[in-house]
Amino acid sequence: MIGLKRQLVRKTQYKHKGDTIEREEATTVVDEALAEIGSNGGLTKQTMITQVTDSLYKQLIRAYEERMPTEEGPHSLDEIRGQAFKRFEKLGFPTVKHEDWKYTNVQPLISQNYLLDTSTSQAEVAIGKAAIPNLDTYRVVLVDGIFNAELSSGIDVPGLHILPIQEAFDQLSFAKYFAEYADKTDNPFVALNTALFKSGVFITVTKNSVLEKPIHIIHVASATEPLFTQTRNLYVIEANAEAELIESFITEDNAANNLNSLVSEIVVHENAKLHHYYLQLAGKQSSYINHTEIYQKKYSLYNNYNCSFPGSAFVRNNINVRLDDSQVESHLYGVTLTAGNQFVDNHTVVDHLKPHCESYEWYKNITQDTSTAVFNGKIFVRLDAQKTNAFQQNNNMLIGEKSAIYTKPQLEIFADDVKCSHGCTIGQFDNQALFYLRSRGISEAQARVLLVHAFAFDVTNRFANATVRKYVEHLVEQGLENG
Amino acid sequence: MSTKDNELLKELTLEEYKYGFTTDIEMDIAPIGLTEDTVRMISAKKNEPEWLLEWRLKALRHFLQMDMPTWQNFDHPAVSFQDISYYAAPKAKPKLNSLDEVDPELLSTFAKLGIPLDEQKVLAGVVAVDAVFDSVSVKTTFREKLKEQGVIFCSFGEAVQEHPELVKQYLGSVVPQTDNIYAALNSAVFSDGSFVYIPKGVRCPMELSTYFRINAENTGQFERTLIIADEGAYVSYLEGCTAPMRDENQLHAAVVELIALKDAEIKYSTVQNWYPGDKDGKGGIYNFVTKRGICKGDNSKISWTQVETGSAITWKYPGVILKGDNSVGEFYSVALTRNRQVADTGTKMIHLGKNTKSKIISKGISAGHSHNSYRGLVKIAAGAENSRNFTQCDSLLIGDRCGAHTFPYIENRNKSAKLEHEATTSKIGEDQLFYLTQRGIDPEKAVGLIVNGYAKEVLNQLPMEFAVEAQKLLAISLEGSVG
Repeated sequence: MIGLKRQLVRKTQYKHKGDTIEREEATTVVDEALAEIGSNGGLTKQTMITQVTDSLYKQLIRAYEERMPTEEGPHSLDEIRGQAFKRFEKLGFPTVKHEDWKYTNVQPLISQNYLLDTSTSQAEVAIGKAAIPNLDTYRVVLVDGIFNAELSSGIDVPGLHILPIQEAFDQLSFAKYFAEYADKTDNPFVALNTALFKSGVFITVTKNSVLEKPIHIIHVASATEPLFTQTRNLYVIEANAEAELIESFITEDNAANNLNSLVSEIVVHENAKLHHYYLQLAGKQSSYINHTEIYQKKYSLYNNYNCSFPGSAFVRNNINVRLDDSQVESHLYGVTLTAGNQFVDNHTVVDHLKPHCESYEWYKNITQDTSTAVFNGKIFVRLDAQKTNAFQQNNNMLIGEKSAIYTKPQLEIFADDVKCSHGCTIGQFDNQALFYLRSRGISEAQARVLLVHAFAFDVTNRFANATVRKYVEHLVEQGLENG
Repeated sequence: MSTKDNELLKELTLEEYKYGFTTDIEMDIAPIGLTEDTVRMISAKKNEPEWLLEWRLKALRHFLQMDMPTWQNFDHPAVSFQDISYYAAPKAKPKLNSLDEVDPELLSTFAKLGIPLDEQKVLAGVVAVDAVFDSVSVKTTFREKLKEQGVIFCSFGEAVQEHPELVKQYLGSVVPQTDNIYAALNSAVFSDGSFVYIPKGVRCPMELSTYFRINAENTGQFERTLIIADEGAYVSYLEGCTAPMRDENQLHAAVVELIALKDAEIKYSTVQNWYPGDKDGKGGIYNFVTKRGICKGDNSKISWTQVETGSAITWKYPGVILKGDNSVGEFYSVALTRNRQVADTGTKMIHLGKNTKSKIISKGISAGHSHNSYRGLVKIAAGAENSRNFTQCDSLLIGDRCGAHTFPYIENRNKSAKLEHEATTSKIGEDQLFYLTQRGIDPEKAVGLIVNGYAKEVLNQLPMEFAVEAQKLLAISLEGSVG
């Protein structure tokens, strides 16, 4: 009964706030929750959590309680973590009854047993899998979320500050932005991450700096025992700065199963530019629940290129862009190629909070075999965000006999002088096109690769970095041949 | 917005609801409240067989256990189910044989509504009408003529008495009692409605039509419509609705079930003009309706057309289950909201059979402080080979305090299906307005022209006589709204 009531409270909350919850409200809810917890004597019966997942949930609670007294860092961080944990306790792990997780069942993931520490991480890992041919970068390597100074290279350049996140707690600019953005959403994994993250990086591109080379962050999963990592990043691009950021995800061949929760908060200041690439190349032992929250200031540009390839069994990406000032531009591009029994889910929110902004979103999914792709795109145009131009497109090729595509392109418009549109298609190979190519002596396999190439072209030709684009096109070809 | 716009908006909001009169007629009203006794009382009044009473009671038990949904895109009003009366009928009189015996007050009500109840006046005989006053079907015209062809068109109560086998076979077969809370409520307490059966191979010679009128205070209207088109049959059916102006909200929770057998076609059109409440959102009808059709046989077709201009809250998703191979489902909708009205409407197309096709055209127009949502589901099951869907949902915003929302769900599990979805949101183009005005057309007419052009695709689907009516309705509702 209590659980039911709580669920209702939660749901109303979502409905009112769309994707964000306000702090005060969250606090009252937490208070209620505490009262209930008290009346139940310790742990409550969480309706959102099934018997099976009790273990990880309990494990996390224990982990939180144990670390509390020995918590390093300033008091304010303690407080933020405490609040976040309460929020997580309140929310619990999501189930498919939750609208945002309708097609994404995390129960099989969280019902497994994981270590919460990196004691079985490997000291020597190969990062060759993430190498991008002909691209010189500032390299940052995170092994199971932990910054590895030996493998990282060339990062000591003017205009670029990279710090392991645990060393950044006392920095003023860190405190100013940390947990200011992602924690306003109702994603339970963000709350959990804020409460319990252990590692990650804090990157600042200083005022007026234009970086010569891209920053390449390589996330390596290596632990030989099942591991649940929670990594936290904060990227601040200061005024007039420009940077390219590439994040690759790879898995060591002998790594055990691992579940990775990565939360990144990004602030793009006035007139700054950031090109941000995600290249999902991990192996099938790895599962990811990633959340990226971007805040943009006046005249800024943020481009996200989100690419997933066959491998990782389960990928969930939340990418939320808040256009929090006028004259802001954002582009979100995605190419997802799935194979085997993969599951890839991309949730995006483009939130137009101020007038005179422009956003452009284009996601392409290609599903092979028995894989599943999910796309959930949401454009908000808030009251008074006049003169907004927002565009959203999602095209899908369903190739696999038993694969599935679920897509939800949504618009929520509260201003009248706007131009917003979205489109969505699901289709297959065009038989006529295939015939045309084959009649000209091109093998069927090659013809298919060509057609997929052409399908993805709308997105890949918008990549700002030609070397990355070539690399991605190559990965698409490779993914099709092996698939 | 300019002052002129404001004036025009003001005018628009004050536009009177011309059907807001009440009729003073002796009514038989059930005591307020909902218990098993209420259901028994309704059933007894209708002289229903035992199985139907059982069916109702089963629905009631479900209803009592169900929770209010919370996923909708508006604040669900607190409906107190114990504070309304579930049955209201003009005082029982001996069975009527001709129109002369109908209460003249009632006749004049329908005359005010412009419903050609009087057979003498419509000798041309294009439309057969079933008029439902509060909860009871008052008079069905042209019954004899339809009977010659074997067409059954009568009130639901009569059908239960005269054709129990048909009712028993199909009642609840498309919308089960447990479908949703309002369907359960309707199943428990429905008082009357229309019943149509078109026998094999018959093309119904005239349009069938029902007019619904809520008259009494503190009552809910719960009617039930069941239309069965046997093999190769065709029928076009239209419903229209009005209600008096009252300060409190009234509930209308109907259920409509359509069954199309092999090669049959059903065309169902709605012109909904319930009282929308005043400009501050006081009063008005809650229009929570469950409408669903099933294309049971091969090559069958169901087409929904709706013009929604009334109701404080419109909440319905007329859907089609495409079970037969080669079956076709269509949904055409114009929803106009103004003042504080809310419309959360759309459709569900469930493709199960091979070569099934569906087409969705939805046009939303929001003015004032109103909110208009399109919510639709297109689901392609694994076995629905070569299915095809086309969806277009456009929104037009008039004024900067209204909202337009789009929530499409697209789920595909089949390799050979092709789906398209597109949506746009915009205001009335200034260049379009300028073009028309500079040719000497005044702004008001110009807006009328543009909106009618915008909605034409849907209005064209209505039967001729009603298309004219709907066009006028749109024009009245939009008068003076230069945006």
